[in-house]
Amino acid sequence: MSIVKDIPSAKKPFKRAYVGIFLWFTGRAIQAAAKVDKEVKKEFDNLPDDFTFSLGCLPNGPSMVIGKRNGAVKYLGGNPGQHKVHVRLAIKSVDAAFLILSFQESTALATTRNRLITDGEVPYALAVIRILDIVEVYLLPKIIAGLAVKRYPKQWSAGRKLGGRIGIYTRTILGI
Amino acid sequence: MLLPDYYEFCCRVKIVAGHDALEKIPELLTERGAKRPLIITDKGVASAGLIDIVSAALKDRLFADLIADNVPPDSDLRVVNQLAKLYQENDCDAIIAVGGGSVMDTAKGVNIVVSENAADLMAFSGVGALKRPLKPLIAVPTTAGTGSEVTQVAVIKDHEKHLKMAFGSYFLLPDISVLDSRMTMTMPPLITAMTGMDALSHAVEAYYCLQKNPLSDAHSLAAVRMIYHYLPIVAENPSDRNARLSMAVGACLAGIAFSNSMVGLVHNLGHATGSVCGVPHGICMAIMLPYGLEYNMHKREEAIAGLLLPMTGEAVYRETPPAQRADKVVSLIRQLNADLNTITGGRHARFFQEVKDREGKPLVPREVLPEIARAALSDGASIYNPEDTDYEDNLMVLEAAWEGIPLDRNKIKRG
Ligand SMILES: [Fe+2]
Repeated sequence: MSIVKDIPSAKKPFKRAYVGIFLWFTGRAIQAAAKVDKEVKKEFDNLPDDFTFSLGCLPNGPSMVIGKRNGAVKYLGGNPGQHKVHVRLAIKSVDAAFLILSFQESTALATTRNRLITDGEVPYALAVIRILDIVEVYLLPKIIAGLAVKRYPKQWSAGRKLGGRIGIYTRTILGI
Repeated sequence: MLLPDYYEFCCRVKIVAGHDALEKIPELLTERGAKRPLIITDKGVASAGLIDIVSAALKDRLFADLIADNVPPDSDLRVVNQLAKLYQENDCDAIIAVGGGSVMDTAKGVNIVVSENAADLMAFSGVGALKRPLKPLIAVPTTAGTGSEVTQVAVIKDHEKHLKMAFGSYFLLPDISVLDSRMTMTMPPLITAMTGMDALSHAVEAYYCLQKNPLSDAHSLAAVRMIYHYLPIVAENPSDRNARLSMAVGACLAGIAFSNSMVGLVHNLGHATGSVCGVPHGICMAIMLPYGLEYNMHKREEAIAGLLLPMTGEAVYRETPPAQRADKVVSLIRQLNADLNTITGGRHARFFQEVKDREGKPLVPREVLPEIARAALSDGASIYNPEDTDYEDNLMVLEAAWEGIPLDRNKIKRG
């Protein structure tokens, strides 16, 4: 019997908690951004009516699920198993998720390093990535968002940035 | 130099290259315990007499009724299923694919169906759905371009349901690629030029895209050196067999590079132009390549400058001031397109405005550029491009590529 035991991901409480909270927060922020930001709204409008996607860690979470329901974009909780998802973004481990979600590694780089797996039709997956990028720009200070996205949108007006940020944070916290 | 913290590289294809490499196939089949290969090809390849050469090389491994030449220019699910049936009914035990991209994709599709006994090919689409090795597949490319003989992907279209299925798995890599100069010798100069530019775009894009790494770089640089040198030679002297073999090897090297490092803007906009206007892939690549370099220059200047060495050799590289090397790479690629245009009597298009169909009608009218820019947002190659691209960026690049003017680099949005 080996003396050194593999520590299962459930035993990384800090990282798991961070990733879980982050996903929960981002999920609610996407729901909010779909109401506040025109570009996010347009991306969702172009997706099918029951469109659903998940973002989470392998092998067993944490995760979050977002879906369009009766025309509105909703955060659908943390259990992708209950839903038919069109796009699944899966990060290979909690450690990798921590790197990505604490912005030490951009989503593009995580893809190239084979840590982020995308499942589903490519056009849908690309729309999801664009939505995530916009929401990250709203949620994060510029210096951090600059690491998370390929190109920080300098050309956004001050009004869009500030108004959007206030609207999305308020709605995210209130869950509306 | 850009050294990624982490990367993966895989190419486990046995490559057999030579002026009589085909003659080795019987022995290669024996090594893999195969006796009855199904030959998959298309009418163009067969009517060019290439199947006769393959047949002669196969000797006692040839079964005349096991030659299927009905692969359409665009891979098709129905043909895949029909060929799989042919394979199963005749107890075949290997596949020999002789052709370009569509034939290779079809053969890979057939291999999935026969190896997995799949009733529905769709169940195996996506990345990583295949879990075990497939039947032996020997790839014999007849263009020096696509690199499909060393890639782990296949695209099959379901024309009835208007679906495009993509497959990705290391198990889709052919077991063996046979590069034989006789297979490309009869390619006319125009096709030679466009497929060669496709190969060059693989080598170059692999060298600047996000997933580049020292191993893909080595293949890129070697490919750029061979293709840049030999492409004008084969376009001018189609029967130069050493140059033909060098192009085949160059395209194969480029295929190994890009299947590990992926491709970016050039393929992104090229795929979109192909699907909206029906422009052949190689033409799109030739036109887009200088623009992909210009668009990504502010993020990849050092890498792009590094391409000058394999293109021109040491003397010119040293004479060129370091700050001008990347620009020189772009202008040399534009010049290569211009030279190919001259060699083909003006038929090799340098910009989209020049692309015409057989009746001389423009294939890319300026009004469709917005539609192409939008279609490009749905193409996965954008993920690996160093700089981000949105609709406006795509349109700006397409307009320049339509007119044939260099990109105004001050207009490129930066983060
Ligand atoms: Fe290509």
